[in-house]
Amino acid sequence: MAAFFRNLLKNKVMLFMVLPGALWFFFFSYMPLVGTIAAFKQYRFSREGFWASLAKSEWVGWDNFKFLFSTNDALLITRNTLLYNIAFIFIGLVLSVAMAVLLSELVNKRLAKVYQTGMFLPYFLSWVIVGYFAFSFLSMDRGMFNQIISWFGGDPIQWYSEAKYWPYILIFVSLWKSIGYNSVVYLASIMGIDKSLYEAAMIDGANKWQQVKNITIPMLSPIIIIMTLLAVGKIFYADFGLFYQVPRDSGPLYAVTNVIDTYVYRGLKTSGEIGMSTAAGLYQSVVGFALVMVSNYVVRKIDKDSALF
Amino acid sequence: MRNSKRSFSFVLATLMALVLVLSACGGKDNNAAEGNTGTSTGGSSEKTVNLIWYTIGTPQKDVDRVMEEVSKYTKEKINATITMKMVDWGDYQQKMQVNVASGEPMDIIFTSAGGFDYVQNARKGAFMVLDDLLEQYGQDLKNTIDPAFLEGSKVDGHNYGIPANKELPQQEVWRFNKQFLDKYNLDISNVRSLESIEPLLKTIKENEPTITAFAMDKNYVPYVPYDYVVQNLPMAVKLDTTDYKIVNILETQEMKDALNLMRKYYKAGYIAPEAATTGSTSDLMTSSMWFMDRAQTQPSADNLWSQSYGYPVVSTPASDAIITNTSVQGSIMAISANSEYPEKAMEFLNLLNTDPVLRNMVDSGIEGVHYNKTDETHYENLPESKNYDMPSYSLGNNMLLYLNANDPDDKWEQFKTFNAAGVDSPILSFNFDSTKVASEMAAIQNVKEQYWSSLMTGTVEPDEFLPKAIEKFKEAGLDKVIAEAQTQLDAWRAANNK
Repeated sequence: MAAFFRNLLKNKVMLFMVLPGALWFFFFSYMPLVGTIAAFKQYRFSREGFWASLAKSEWVGWDNFKFLFSTNDALLITRNTLLYNIAFIFIGLVLSVAMAVLLSELVNKRLAKVYQTGMFLPYFLSWVIVGYFAFSFLSMDRGMFNQIISWFGGDPIQWYSEAKYWPYILIFVSLWKSIGYNSVVYLASIMGIDKSLYEAAMIDGANKWQQVKNITIPMLSPIIIIMTLLAVGKIFYADFGLFYQVPRDSGPLYAVTNVIDTYVYRGLKTSGEIGMSTAAGLYQSVVGFALVMVSNYVVRKIDKDSALF
Repeated sequence: MRNSKRSFSFVLATLMALVLVLSACGGKDNNAAEGNTGTSTGGSSEKTVNLIWYTIGTPQKDVDRVMEEVSKYTKEKINATITMKMVDWGDYQQKMQVNVASGEPMDIIFTSAGGFDYVQNARKGAFMVLDDLLEQYGQDLKNTIDPAFLEGSKVDGHNYGIPANKELPQQEVWRFNKQFLDKYNLDISNVRSLESIEPLLKTIKENEPTITAFAMDKNYVPYVPYDYVVQNLPMAVKLDTTDYKIVNILETQEMKDALNLMRKYYKAGYIAPEAATTGSTSDLMTSSMWFMDRAQTQPSADNLWSQSYGYPVVSTPASDAIITNTSVQGSIMAISANSEYPEKAMEFLNLLNTDPVLRNMVDSGIEGVHYNKTDETHYENLPESKNYDMPSYSLGNNMLLYLNANDPDDKWEQFKTFNAAGVDSPILSFNFDSTKVASEMAAIQNVKEQYWSSLMTGTVEPDEFLPKAIEKFKEAGLDKVIAEAQTQLDAWRAANNK
């Protein structure tokens, strides 16, 4: 105990610095944990407020989880969520690192800043706006793509009813929006690499590609692993705006755009069953937690220093 | 390293302990509040109480200012003051869900079939049962509003809210942009069914290719003479039913024919290609780039539409006037289950629905600031009224409202005639309780979202997609839900001697 307080005193500046973040997590991540009880209850309002409602609602066991698995859609939404996220993680990783390397190699630093800002910008747009951007390209009668197609004498395509194009469109839009942000993270760590390594390599006659392959990528690997592990933890969460706003909630596209989050939203938006939506959230968190633990375990087996914990 | 790990778990344990302490505190606070409630409602009503009123609509700048005036008036009448909190249209459902679930203090809540669902939330315990309060404090109100409203808004035999006195039945009409009717000399006197509009659409398409002939958004559903057990789910009862059988609307001949026609219209280009994903047609209305659409009417609606669009609009019926749950539950004010002053809230609702001065103040603002009275029953808006522009339908008895210069003098008489002419739906005041089939309902909602709009707007081929949709609905458990609804409906019939 005494050792603990001594430790506290010794690190007081550091602890003070993490305090805001710790408080945030405490209030918004740890406190609400109590509410997961609602996943196992049929939530009903009580006169005396939230805690009384929670306590007085009837226990229903696993009933609230049933709707997630009751139809064939369960397989479809799980597949869509997982495959899209895997695609986002890996393609996103390759492209962001590539962009970061290219930006760091640009001699004209002013131009590099311009490119960087241009790529960063989409990250700040809301999905609703991005959805309308996409619509201006894909609209049936006034969209840019269909106008180009008809100039060349082709038949216009009903983009919002043809499921086959959408995996590519969604992946493209998602990457367009996120690459700028991610590449900045990698660019920052490239800036931190000791320049003498490159000088030594140049003296040994290494060309640009060899420098990238043998210095930049290995030096980046810890941050790549951390970013990937964090993304894996969110693999069961889909970006709601991307899958709802960009395809304009079009029914014929559901086979390739329905993911866990949109399924839950569509199923419960009218009934407002708090128990069932909590169940869905709990399910996503538990699977995400398990995946982080497993992938971290695997990383630790391979390279102990790179693991998160 | 190991040392730091141990101290981390100690910090974690401390945090956990803190959570428990805090949550315990929360519990205690609640108990204290409960104690207060007991004393304040039990004691004499000497003290002026403040009622918190949540209602729907874009928050207006002058709400607090108007409520100050309203409070002066109500303090004198019933010794209560009013605080109004407005929640914007799109957020209402979700925010109220959270506000009610978290026990936010509130006394009066706007609810309806569309925003913050009345029946579901009554069953979940969000609202107070008003049977006794209505008897005790609501006699004037009971004498003022159409009894069909109070009867039709009962849930499992109890009143949970006070419906606004307004148009009672719902009737579908075809609306036309009059300039095109005149230009091509089109006659709408024989128009009623979905087939009957075809020649008109054809003329417009041929002569005005840039105009959207048949305007609709993704919520459009062709009219068929059925009443839906749950809005926009394919379970319905025929309006002239004798056996009260619930059927899958997609399997009825009427709907099949309608969908085939819609497909024909879509392929002919009468319908906008993006109709199935279009959220609203207001752009078309503003630009006048449409020829016809379908809407719900009320007395002197043509007047209202023409005024709000700024060009003449005429309409002709597309269906009979039917009194359904949805039409009766279009606008209701309920008393929150956690209200500390339910008696005062009821007194206020009674006053609001019977007192023209209060009702018009809530609707139009402060006299001399937001509006001027021109005579006993007429008023005109002043420029300031843009800071207090309220939706009239959601704020209680509409028939007390003053008329504006364009309204016919017998506007509310027309409403009474319209209401009297309405025919009851066979399942009026039957409310399906979906608790037992909640997971099936969630799955069915998903199927509905997938197929509904594209089928209804004619975007996809019914021959191919209708069987698919029916199959998917079955897979999601529609048969089980229909069976459950049928059981409840049969029990309701037996109880109500239908």
